[in-house]
Amino acid sequence: MSISLSIDTSTSRTSVAIIDESALLWHGFRDGATSHGHALPGMVAQALEVQFEIDQVVVGMGPGPYTGLRVGISFARSFALARQIPLVGICSLDAIATQVRTKDDFIVATDARRKEIYWARYFNGDRVDAPAVDFPADVALQGVPIFGEGAVKYLLTGDDEIQFPDVAALVELAKNQDLHLDQPIYLRRPDAVPTSERTP
Amino acid sequence: MMYEPLVLGIETSCDETAIGIVRGRTLLANVIASSVEEHARFGGVVPEIASRAHLEAMLPSLQQAVIDAKISLSDIDAVAVTAGPGLIGALLVGVASASGLALGLGKPLYGVNHLAAHVCVDLLTHDLPREPTIALLVSGGHSSLLQVDDITSSVIKLGESMDDAAGEAFDKIARVMGLGFPGGPAIDREAIAGNPEAIDFPRGLTHSNDWATRPFDFSFSGLKTAVARYLESTPDYAKADVAASFQESIVDVLLLKALAACKKTGIDSLVIAGGVAANSRLRAVAKHRCHEAKIRLRIPAPGLCTDNGAMVAALGSLMVSAGRPASSIDLEATSSLSVSTVSI
Repeated sequence: MSISLSIDTSTSRTSVAIIDESALLWHGFRDGATSHGHALPGMVAQALEVQFEIDQVVVGMGPGPYTGLRVGISFARSFALARQIPLVGICSLDAIATQVRTKDDFIVATDARRKEIYWARYFNGDRVDAPAVDFPADVALQGVPIFGEGAVKYLLTGDDEIQFPDVAALVELAKNQDLHLDQPIYLRRPDAVPTSERTP
Repeated sequence: MMYEPLVLGIETSCDETAIGIVRGRTLLANVIASSVEEHARFGGVVPEIASRAHLEAMLPSLQQAVIDAKISLSDIDAVAVTAGPGLIGALLVGVASASGLALGLGKPLYGVNHLAAHVCVDLLTHDLPREPTIALLVSGGHSSLLQVDDITSSVIKLGESMDDAAGEAFDKIARVMGLGFPGGPAIDREAIAGNPEAIDFPRGLTHSNDWATRPFDFSFSGLKTAVARYLESTPDYAKADVAASFQESIVDVLLLKALAACKKTGIDSLVIAGGVAANSRLRAVAKHRCHEAKIRLRIPAPGLCTDNGAMVAALGSLMVSAGRPASSIDLEATSSLSVSTVSI
């Protein structure tokens, strides 16, 4: 028996769940692109009132806008340290892909800001290309259906049911060791120009 | 015997990922992972680079601090964290880590003010702070004069810099003189061989009118311009003399105003804190002038002046001992947190 605390902060939604094997014991989310830091600890505190003992933490490692993404990963790491329990990181896009039942070749996209999207392509349930970050129009050229918050925002899909990572799916994905990630997926370097390369 | 709480403090407001552990007033661990070298080629702190480095360094630093302190995490009575002011993306890594730790351990969380923590760190090296005291807080991000009636609850801002922080002025002048980043230690070293009276650089906000309207505020932008103009007009300038004279102008004006604040309020105690408090000239002149004015001076050990987690833990420890209420678990990191808000 294993009870998981599952967290994702890679999109504009902060999601938390506690799952016993596959039974959902607690689930909550809060929307707001800059409210992860405020939303996450309060939701976890509520969840722990329902189920205090936790055996592992699962967290979405992005890709996602950096500041919110780091809130989830920092929190998950120190919670796991405090409890002396394992932490598993999973690509957040995979937990959106699990919600797509109607197609076997498709792309999942989330909002990367600066008019770009984070995306990955799936075939028969497996991630086969990316994750990467590109302009929506360029990703659309691949000619397969696109799902997720990024697809909804840039009108690349008619399906607005599937937008955010499913934290219950993260726990399911965590059973596959090949999918485990240690580091966040940033995909972009920080924007900064060394003083020696600046044009005067 | 007085209850001595075991407190872990987390500091991530700028480019230092720092963890401190104290038991009462005793420092048990002070781990600092700095990303300063990653920023050096950009000539200043790049927020996104700092935030990424915080996330990378956090877990190893926490683990190291627990080893250094020879404790178990579950022994901790409370977790304290810098809630502001600072870079928001950087603060959020610390606050999220602290709340994860506090919830995981089932212990209270204290979100504290970075500036109050700087003042408070003196507690770890000297006697119990004598309150009230005047505090001069000088760093790369701040130059403030404070009246501290109770470090856990009542800090009043008397004045602050109208433009650059003192440490920022050090960085900028070091950059134009090609001395490297961070500028404070570089200018301090260069100035040792120089004459502090070689060049008469301006002292900002010290005209008689300023003393009437802005007695405890600072301005360093005029000084910066004056030094830049001097360097342009004097191609074969003596580096050591410029460094020493520039440094003297800053030290002079900081202490003039700090001692004026002591006199005005009738408080005979001064604490100098923050990264610039590690400056050797500031320490020497402060000692001399405070002795003359019969002001009791306290400056933390140089290693505790720059950003560290011990100061956050120390303030947390005082908050616990004073019976102050813990913060809400979903406290919000605030980049512009006012110094009068000691905890949130």
